[in-house]
Amino acid sequence: MQKYRKRSSVGKTDPNEPRSKRQSRRQFLLKTGGILAAGAFGAVPLRGWAADAVNIGALYPTTGSMAQIGVGCVAAAKLAVEMVNDAGGIKSLGGAKLNLIVSDVQSDTTVTRTETDRLISGNKLSAIHGCFASALTLIASEVAERAKVPVITGSSSDQLNKGRTYTFTPFARASQFAKAQLQMSKLVSDKPKVAVIFENTAFGTSTSNGLKELAPGEGVEIVMFEPYSAGFTDASPLINKVKSSGANALFAVSYLNDLILIVRTVKQVGLDVAINGGSGGFVIPDFYKNVGKLAEGLQGVAHWNHDMSDDAQKVNAEYKKRTGDFLFEYAGGLVAQTFMLADALERAASADPQKVRDALSTLDVSSGYAAMAPGGKVKFGPDGKNIYGHPVGVQWQNGDLASVFPEADKRAPLMKT
Amino acid sequence: MWETVAQAVINGLLIGGIYALVSIGVTLIFGVVKIVNFAQGEFVMIGMYISFFLATQFGIDPVISLLVTMPTLFVAGVLIQHFLIRRVLGPNDMPQIFLTFALSLLLLNLALLLFTANYRTVHTSYSDEAFHIGGLYIPVAKLIAFVVAMGLSAVLWVFLHTTDLGKAMRAAAQNRDVATLMGINPDRVFCVALGIALALAGAAGSLLMPFYSAYPLVGQVFTLMAFVAVVLGSLGNVMGALIASLMMGVAESLGIQYIGADSGLIVVFAMLLLTLAFKPTGLGGRAR
Repeated sequence: MQKYRKRSSVGKTDPNEPRSKRQSRRQFLLKTGGILAAGAFGAVPLRGWAADAVNIGALYPTTGSMAQIGVGCVAAAKLAVEMVNDAGGIKSLGGAKLNLIVSDVQSDTTVTRTETDRLISGNKLSAIHGCFASALTLIASEVAERAKVPVITGSSSDQLNKGRTYTFTPFARASQFAKAQLQMSKLVSDKPKVAVIFENTAFGTSTSNGLKELAPGEGVEIVMFEPYSAGFTDASPLINKVKSSGANALFAVSYLNDLILIVRTVKQVGLDVAINGGSGGFVIPDFYKNVGKLAEGLQGVAHWNHDMSDDAQKVNAEYKKRTGDFLFEYAGGLVAQTFMLADALERAASADPQKVRDALSTLDVSSGYAAMAPGGKVKFGPDGKNIYGHPVGVQWQNGDLASVFPEADKRAPLMKT
Repeated sequence: MWETVAQAVINGLLIGGIYALVSIGVTLIFGVVKIVNFAQGEFVMIGMYISFFLATQFGIDPVISLLVTMPTLFVAGVLIQHFLIRRVLGPNDMPQIFLTFALSLLLLNLALLLFTANYRTVHTSYSDEAFHIGGLYIPVAKLIAFVVAMGLSAVLWVFLHTTDLGKAMRAAAQNRDVATLMGINPDRVFCVALGIALALAGAAGSLLMPFYSAYPLVGQVFTLMAFVAVVLGSLGNVMGALIASLMMGVAESLGIQYIGADSGLIVVFAMLLLTLAFKPTGLGGRAR
């Protein structure tokens, strides 16, 4: 490994030598000029040279099973950094630009650990954001806590708010998602009878148990509670069972492929149930691309949606221009997070991770891009949780996601199916 | 009550038809060439991707694209037999196992590289339609898949029992040395066997496409089911594999209905264990 690195660095400098010499001469002049000027004017940071870029680490799975979403996240992260820099960077740091350092965590927990370590030890980072999947974020957060580098994340696991001081979660938590989902079932019927089907994995089991625990308190009856083996070939027997349970609402805690089969089979059976697909793979453009018209009217929950505010719409338009898809939940939240970091850096007037962490802990915004969250306010409690954080209920309408729940965040009427 | 049972049986039979196409391929290769093809599922995956691209680029219905996937994979099978498998045939099983296993890994990762891990679906006019009879329903796409799968199996059966080449294949399966003494060229017979087996996998891929997503790992699901069906239906026995596949589909479906949706495979494997315990040669049969 080391040998390879040495060789590659030699290969890089050789052909560039003349240019790099010229560059270093220019840099030398600039720097000496700057130092002279700084001496003359009392070390006022000068725009242009003195403002060292502020390094922000971005950990996303851009290869492997979660690549689709990871690539979208990186595109959004780049867009957000550009927006901050074009608006003049961090003014209290002499207009310092944000510098995004992207690292691929390959949808793999072991790789996430080593990549986070490598990213922190190899660069002077002010903060990190990542990693989309809670399972990966939990590990990245552990490593960052030890290195005392702040992490800001849209991942929803409640675990991220336990015993951590450098981890900040500006958006709704998993437990809140379950509650919102149950409340949404009452939009469809006064007496919701819910069938919960979930894949028999950690993700499926924990999410569905949350639903089961909260259901009595919300006045929702669960008539079927059934785990299935993820990656099945045929959803018919399962939907057959839902049919005999007499449910009028169906919660599927599933990944994309199973969800597609479930939605199609429900249609084939001619079963009249309101489907709520939850979050994650259900609220990304890919879902609609695969399911098509059948997705119309299906409900889900998200921690961010692009129709929330004018600011969000603006970012969405720009993202759409670049990638062709609408700005999905996780990527949209990421743009807001970048502005939260910019706000903290501005107030900290330092790129030191400890100071950035302290500034994040006193963050309190209710306007601008940093406040793009359901409810429009962000302020962190002692557990790093946004005290105003809550999810929005969304519905697929004409190939786009519309916010339909709760009343305060509603941007479009609920489409009856 | 009877409606639920009947529906479960219908669902099981329909998916069993697809399992049959894959497992007949595996059993044919095992019976004739005497190797276990671990890559059979990956050829289903290739069939799916071919159908997917024909559907999205040229608007060809996945079931029609059978006419492309089957010949393509037939040729692929002949080439793989001629250039790869032929070289490792011998008294030692290990190189053959490694070869097909490596082929599986290679194709799988190649697909990940070329097509990424995304799910691809084709939406046909009949993808979401179903026939409703009384309280029962039969999805159109699956019915088409089942009928075509049974048709192809019947054609294969007729081919094996009436044509010279088919008889030669069965002869080579029964005893390679004697078949060679009778003037049968084993290389040629093996090539055809591989070709037919892969063509069936390709057909399964095309037939799956209207109602299932294509992704690089999709083959693994079907490989597992195929191996169970092949053992259950007696190794190398085409008819046995067919019947075992249909039984497995029904067992899985009933298991999901009456035991639990995560227990469908438990029933299938319980069935396999019981069969091995009481009838070690498999359901199809006679001891060899």
